[in-house]
Amino acid sequence: MIDAALIWEWIIKSLILIIFLTVGFMYVTVYERRFLARIQSRIGPNRAGPFGLLQPAADGLKLIFKEELIPANADKFIFLLAPIITVIPALIVLAVIPWGEAMVIFGRQVNLFISDVNVAVVYIMAVTSISVYGITLAGWSSNNKYALLGGLRATAQMISYELALGLAFMGPVVLAGSLSMVDIVRAQQSSLWYVVLQPAAFLIYFFASIAEINRAPFDMPEAEQELTAGYHAEYSGMKFALFFMAEYIKMIAISTIGATLFFGGFDGPFVDQIPWLGPIYLLAKVVIYLGVLIWVRASWPRIRYDRLMQLGWKIMFPLALLNVIITAVVVVLVN
Amino acid sequence: MEDQIFVSDLPSLDTLYPGKVTLDTRSGYSGFIVPREFLLEVSTEIHDVWGYDMLSSITGVDYFPEKMEVVYHFYRSLGGGALVLKVQVPRDDAVVPSIFSIYNGAEFQEREAWDLLGIKFDGHPDLRRILMWEGFEGFPLRKDWKEAYYEGDTKPFSSRWPEGVAEHSENKNIFNDNVKYPENFDPDKWIASGEEALYLGLQKSENGKDMETESIVINLGPQHPSTHGVFRMAALVDGEEIVDLKPAFGYLHRNHEKIGERNTFLQNMPFTDRLDYISSMSNNFGYALAVEKLMGVKPPERAEYIRVIMAELTRIESHFMSTGFLLNDLGAFFTPALYALKERELILDVFEAVSGSRMMCNYFRFGGVVRDLPAGIQETIKNLAFERLPGKVDELDQLLTENEIVRSRCMGIGVLTAEQAINLSVTGPILRASGVPYDIRRADPYSIYDRFDFDIPVFYHGDVYDRYLIRIEEMRQSVRIIQQAITQIPEGPVFEGKPQYQVRVPAGEAYGRVEAPKGELGFYVVSNGQANPWRYHVRAPSFINLTSLRQMCLKYKVADVIAILGSIDIVLGEVDR
Amino acid sequence: MLMEFLPLLIILLLAVFIGVFVVVLGSTFGPKRPGQRKNSPYESGMVPYGPAKRRISVRYYLIAVLFILFDIEVVFLVPWAVVVRQIGVPGLVFMIIFVLILEVAHLYAWKKGALEWD
Repeated sequence: MIDAALIWEWIIKSLILIIFLTVGFMYVTVYERRFLARIQSRIGPNRAGPFGLLQPAADGLKLIFKEELIPANADKFIFLLAPIITVIPALIVLAVIPWGEAMVIFGRQVNLFISDVNVAVVYIMAVTSISVYGITLAGWSSNNKYALLGGLRATAQMISYELALGLAFMGPVVLAGSLSMVDIVRAQQSSLWYVVLQPAAFLIYFFASIAEINRAPFDMPEAEQELTAGYHAEYSGMKFALFFMAEYIKMIAISTIGATLFFGGFDGPFVDQIPWLGPIYLLAKVVIYLGVLIWVRASWPRIRYDRLMQLGWKIMFPLALLNVIITAVVVVLVN
Repeated sequence: MEDQIFVSDLPSLDTLYPGKVTLDTRSGYSGFIVPREFLLEVSTEIHDVWGYDMLSSITGVDYFPEKMEVVYHFYRSLGGGALVLKVQVPRDDAVVPSIFSIYNGAEFQEREAWDLLGIKFDGHPDLRRILMWEGFEGFPLRKDWKEAYYEGDTKPFSSRWPEGVAEHSENKNIFNDNVKYPENFDPDKWIASGEEALYLGLQKSENGKDMETESIVINLGPQHPSTHGVFRMAALVDGEEIVDLKPAFGYLHRNHEKIGERNTFLQNMPFTDRLDYISSMSNNFGYALAVEKLMGVKPPERAEYIRVIMAELTRIESHFMSTGFLLNDLGAFFTPALYALKERELILDVFEAVSGSRMMCNYFRFGGVVRDLPAGIQETIKNLAFERLPGKVDELDQLLTENEIVRSRCMGIGVLTAEQAINLSVTGPILRASGVPYDIRRADPYSIYDRFDFDIPVFYHGDVYDRYLIRIEEMRQSVRIIQQAITQIPEGPVFEGKPQYQVRVPAGEAYGRVEAPKGELGFYVVSNGQANPWRYHVRAPSFINLTSLRQMCLKYKVADVIAILGSIDIVLGEVDR
Repeated sequence: MLMEFLPLLIILLLAVFIGVFVVVLGSTFGPKRPGQRKNSPYESGMVPYGPAKRRISVRYYLIAVLFILFDIEVVFLVPWAVVVRQIGVPGLVFMIIFVLILEVAHLYAWKKGALEWD
């Protein structure tokens, strides 16, 4: 059953995903900087390489050769551990997302996903909630007041929005009758995209996921204006780069998950005739979704922390709960 | 002009309080002299009975070697001229009762006078150094205090040009012994002794909450991304809530006033540019007014129009900037700020064309402006005032005013009531956002502002949102003024008399004040007939507006402090001087 | 069945490797010139007053406790959401009752001011 070829297939697919995410991370930063610059009537980085395409490489190189400081009285082990804990969930959360139809490569039937576990949605929820540990520990171990406040904010914010986020997943799950992402995509192929059937769930997912990854306008934990950088105030060099990487990979992750749950994933015209189109469609959807995230960042000021918590607990959570129940009632009655 | 309440009937205090108040009869001087025993009594009277509810400025003058004089400028919030009180004390016993209990706005100004002149204010709740560092010895604005590398009392220093060769005396006496450090001073190990006092001065809350929590002292600043410079606030926070907060200043202090006293009158003109470096034209305006009062000259018509146009362009430019950066402080990622800066650049183009410099304009002279508008720039200003700016102000308004997040972040935050605002000596947009229609251009008109048709916008909530709205509205009014001025501007000379390097300023005192973009900018200048001002004091609006910061921040959240600070719109060049 | 999780283990190992590798990379190439002032925690350039690690506002714990309560609710919803088609009306009614009970708790916390910040 398990043969060497299968294991190699897994390793290669895992490598492809991780390389895609790390390279994607680099180019999302360029994408964001250039796109933001355009919105703000600036040019953006355009000196390193053609169109500034080598900018992330230059940034990375610079960070490698930067001195890394560890503040006095910091908990050194946890201080080192925190960025690693933060980046791991970001790298592995997309393992259950299908990229396209199964294809025949070198005479071998290859499924374009790393694993189609039957509890994929639970896996995503579980993995995303791990990243809160990294941020909390980073804030706590730095022995810095801004970092501590940022870490605490992050903890409270991320766990609060996890509720709404988890409930937003339930809408598509009820409709598809499965927790597997592959099944959810198939269900959308046979009916409509869930953004049409579940608009409330999509909106809740959109905002709750932004809050979950601490992006503007919900970037309270790193709120530059108040907390100077929040939980990663004391991090420098490559350890800072890990936090940065985690944030941008999480952006890619929520875009991919959002595209899969609500926009039909790799689904698109002619995808059943030409299987190569699947990954391209998915990528296109992700790029558009990322563009919206950047646009949101360019446009809105930050919500205040207490308002954010109230939004989560008093509006999003009950609304998401109501959405699940109504969806279930409709599904049962139609059946 | 009909509906303006004009109060010119100053009560003649010397007849009202015989024996307690005497008229200041020195030539070139005005106001009343009060012995220090009666200061509290008289100032209570003028506050409660005569309605002089705004304390504009407190400063001291060192009449070396005879006496020290403390000068108070009071105004009515209804408008009208100043009531000047003076208290004369001996130099070695410079103690004056604090009027903090009557005018809370005296807090920082009295601390400043203590710090720089060594005038002790009895009864001041927190009389610490404010601009100089803790551990500094001496009072630098006293005439017998000599700074490091002291060369002479007045510029131009004769040592600089022996036979026309520049020779800097700091090259000759590096670390001369007039640099005084405290005993056993080691900069690496030194921790300010005042720090502990500052932190311990923060009040724990005494509310009857059922949950007892521990609060943390956090420093916001000096090296902080959103304090608009090297400004510092020590805050006591409980979770997210501000329990107490105290500002700390002086990180950009350069003793502007001491340097100003060394300079000649004209040398101070470019030096005022560095105060509020965003709006140098307004600074020039205030200083020019003060010295012109002393000299008794009046600029020609065309120069007056040019001055008004430049001052109003400065106001628009400064308000664009403060609105943009307020949004930045709210967490918007630079988009509004950059939209605003784009328009500011167009105005700076005008400044560059007329004065040769975009920010440090140095454009005004005593009796006019330095040169006429160059060819074509009148068209540019017309184009800006009629085509470009009105639309852009509306655009900013449309983009921001109705934004749900902006509203929820700004409404009801940092509330300052009208009574508090007046009592705390707050001026400018903050005062008007609290519902006090006080604008010097109307309340005590200077230059030719009485010729133009414009409104003084007033809002009544006194929160961050109203301070934002008032700036948008003021930009519209400034555009109106520029539209009128640029169409009415007459031909003619722009300078009265012959331009000269060394102006002759008769002895006396003058207080010139203008409505700068940030509030009331006043220059108190004392001349003794020499080439250099004997005393040169700047009443910096951002500095005094900060008196209200603590009041505004209490009970709000950490994030709100930044928004409130952004809404005060400070420039550190002016705060720390 | 468990075989589906093996690839997840592989990618997890790769991710751990990446994380550790980046940290090692940085600490290998960067210069190291620590100093007393350099290592002091950043507090806007001031010497911090009082320790940073201390008892923190109790409201954060309140949020954490509430989260655990309601997250369990979400977890109960997951299997139900998958099979709601099969179990039909009875399953739906039971879950609505369950959610209502928890909603009462949510409203109680709301009413008590546990969701406020002051």
